Amino acid sequence: MTTEEVTEYAPEQPARMRWAALAPEVYKAMARLEQASKQGLDPRLVELVRLRASAINHCAFCLDMHTKDALAAGETVQRIVHLNAWEESKHFYTQKELAAIELTEAVTVLTDGFVPDEVYEKAAKHFEEAELAQLIACIAVINAWNRFGVTTRAVPGHYQPGDFS
Amino acid sequence: MTARTQVLDRAVGQAMSAVSAAAKRGLGDPALAELVVIRASQLNHCAFCLDMHLAVARGLGVSERQLDLLAAWEEAEDAFDERERAALALTEAITVLTDGFVPDEVYEKAAKHFDEARLAHLIALVVAINNWNRVMVSRRVPPGGYTP
Repeated sequence: MTTEEVTEYAPEQPARMRWAALAPEVYKAMARLEQASKQGLDPRLVELVRLRASAINHCAFCLDMHTKDALAAGETVQRIVHLNAWEESKHFYTQKELAAIELTEAVTVLTDGFVPDEVYEKAAKHFEEAELAQLIACIAVINAWNRFGVTTRAVPGHYQPGDFS
Repeated sequence: MTARTQVLDRAVGQAMSAVSAAAKRGLGDPALAELVVIRASQLNHCAFCLDMHLAVARGLGVSERQLDLLAAWEEAEDAFDERERAALALTEAITVLTDGFVPDEVYEKAAKHFDEARLAHLIALVVAINNWNRVMVSRRVPPGGYTP
């Protein structure tokens, strides 16, 4: 005997505000910053950085968006899932990716301390100076989007790859 | 200490400045903007940003008493009014995301003191200084390089 079970999920929470419509000049500058910060970086690496920062900052909208973008760009489910335990799953990533992920964590969690020399230096071994500056900018910018997303409670689930391009 | 690197892409720097400028314009309260920016820079330990924005705040006439007590504003009720306190509580919540979300009571208190457009720009200002804090701390830009 089987009865069809209907799964009842919790209701979707509305966003607190639509900040981009309320602050269009800020949004335009953020979009320019987004474009400028990813120049010269490998798009696959950029998505890993964005996913890791968004997980640390608990940005639901950003996780939804960047998981979809990463998958659309050919990233594997395994590498996306294991980002949250990368220290125990290093063999899924290149040394360069690992250095970038470690730097992402240090730059994201500034309130616990500074960016340690060993973390910076490891990144500097794998990225030449201009590329490293772009990586730092890219980490700062996803932190910025995370802050907008969490503060205004942007609703996850509706993003489709290409929505903002 | 010298900076780890002086490199910052020109287009990145210009766009970051544009985000900050648009946020400040929309908030329309330069003295409050400096309190917010200094508090975030304290939490993120950005020496360059503190040096710069303390100078800007003094130039705007923000009182020494407010600057002295900013790191303990919750315990300094007579030094900050309700609007400033609401902005500072929101600043802290947006800056320390790793400990949790931005609580409803913090957001709602800010929404009582700022209309929606100003609140959007206040949020943007906190985001913008967090951006600068990250870029400056990561590159270890030493304090003292700023002259008003």
